[in-house]
Amino acid sequence: MSVTDLPEAVRREIEAFLYLEARLADESQYDAWEKLVTDDMHYWVPKGAADYDPNERLSYINDNRARLATRIRQLMTGVRHAQTPPSPMRRIVSNIEVLAADGIAGTYTVASNFVLYELAVQSGATLRIWPGRVTHRLRRVDGELRMSEKIVELVTSSVAQPNLAFLI
Amino acid sequence: MDKRYAALIQDDRVHGSLYTDAAVFADEMDRIYRRGWVFVGHDSEIPKPGDWVTRQIGLEPVIMVRDRTDAIHVLANRCAHRGNRLCWRDAGHGNGFQCIYHGWTFALDGSLRAVSHKAGFERDRADMPLDRAAQVERHRGFVFANMSGDAGTLDDHLGAGGRDLIDRLCDLSPTGNIRLSAGWIGHRVESNWKMWPESDSDGYHLDFVHASMLRAQPDNYYHDTVIGGEQANVSRAVDHGSGHTELDLRPSYSRELAWLGVGRDRVGGYCEAMVAKHGKERAERLLWDGPPHGFIFPNLFLGEVNVARIDPIDVGAMVHAHTVIQLEGVDGALNRRLLRQSEAALGPASFIVPDDAIIAERMQLGFQGLRPPSNGDARRGWIDLSRGLSREQRQPDGTRVGHVSDEVTNRAFWQHYRQVMESRA
Repeated sequence: MSVTDLPEAVRREIEAFLYLEARLADESQYDAWEKLVTDDMHYWVPKGAADYDPNERLSYINDNRARLATRIRQLMTGVRHAQTPPSPMRRIVSNIEVLAADGIAGTYTVASNFVLYELAVQSGATLRIWPGRVTHRLRRVDGELRMSEKIVELVTSSVAQPNLAFLI
Repeated sequence: MDKRYAALIQDDRVHGSLYTDAAVFADEMDRIYRRGWVFVGHDSEIPKPGDWVTRQIGLEPVIMVRDRTDAIHVLANRCAHRGNRLCWRDAGHGNGFQCIYHGWTFALDGSLRAVSHKAGFERDRADMPLDRAAQVERHRGFVFANMSGDAGTLDDHLGAGGRDLIDRLCDLSPTGNIRLSAGWIGHRVESNWKMWPESDSDGYHLDFVHASMLRAQPDNYYHDTVIGGEQANVSRAVDHGSGHTELDLRPSYSRELAWLGVGRDRVGGYCEAMVAKHGKERAERLLWDGPPHGFIFPNLFLGEVNVARIDPIDVGAMVHAHTVIQLEGVDGALNRRLLRQSEAALGPASFIVPDDAIIAERMQLGFQGLRPPSNGDARRGWIDLSRGLSREQRQPDGTRVGHVSDEVTNRAFWQHYRQVMESRA
């Protein structure tokens, strides 16, 4: 199956997944968000474009499943000061493109743009704007879409970032 | 001699206005960053002639470049003609520098090579090099510079304590050489820069600020070294002099390689290479002791396997930029482990430093509106740094040592700061 003859129902299902994932992250619903990931999840926020080997250079985030579980466990302690209280956030997800699809394997590569508005209430209550592009790799597990990879390329990623302790 | 700072910095307390007063910040950029030694980078970042990286010294943009004789220069990133910035990228390579405004070209050592349409230019080119740091020296590849040229030698600045911190880091490489090749991650914090020499070397805050990390990662080596109060661990806070400080975790490690989070079975090749380099006894010592946790005045943090620099932006903003050491002569798996360890600890999305950043930003907010003691707030807005003052001990080598939770390191920073701010007036 090529991307062009992707059934409309699947396309809608993919969009719905992206919107759900975005909303759960916006609302810091860590438990529910974590249920969307596969056992081999890779969560990557590179420094600059995602065109390098993260085994050679540092990234902002380069979580395998275990590291991501630690991240979420830390957020759920209630004393992760950098997210206490959690930042009020809303993100707009747009320009969704299915870049690759394999209907038999049930895998999809989906790119989208986003703009995230964050109020950093933990200190100065400044409004921070995080624009970027996400590449999701989705996989059907027991009939449901899950993400096996989320790569977040920030527009600002080449320069110093403020605290990024929430799920982006 | 500037007497104003004695009123702001006492032996056991400092005034909060030091973090918010723009006039103090301006003094610091001159007295500390322009007229003192400042960490710039590591020579492994520019391994080949013609390689350069851009940095800042205080607020001034500079280029650190290796020339064809392998000399390293720290040049102003500013054309000697009309001041246009020469290098816009973080790093690059070339035969020299060309200004795109009027096409002037400069050699790798900063000398003016050519002026376009030269008939109308009457000055001697030899009189028009790029501005430069007057002193550039290295220790184990760590490049330090001083703009003014009257800061004495780097050896005197680092002293035995500062050199030892760097040596202990580099000696963890089986070749004696580390590489800073993993790139820098910048973490912007809305706080005064001085909160970082204090926070990075504070051994009193871990149980509280990093409670979430300790609960989420129960096998972390910090449990042994800095947690649990005065009876539970025997780590030391050390004042090495000249503002250089250390949290000496070595006495607290309960096993070898604790700092790396693995056993010898996982890194056997590394351990063998260390024995080959250093001999069995010293290698075993190094593998137990691990890298230092120290701060070299005014802007270099050695945080175990991480190297961080403090870049001031203005009185209320700074960048904590870090990278991780990569060891020469080891397999890729060990260096990958160091990368992952660094991502967990430092940077805006890590498990540790974002919580320090929140404290620094809340302190900065807390100091807003304070006036200096000479002009209103003589009794208010003081920061108490007296903890452990009566139980710290001066050692025969001149260092002062206290319990890891004592404010020995904070006092060490401020006493040196005061001396510099007073004497370089």
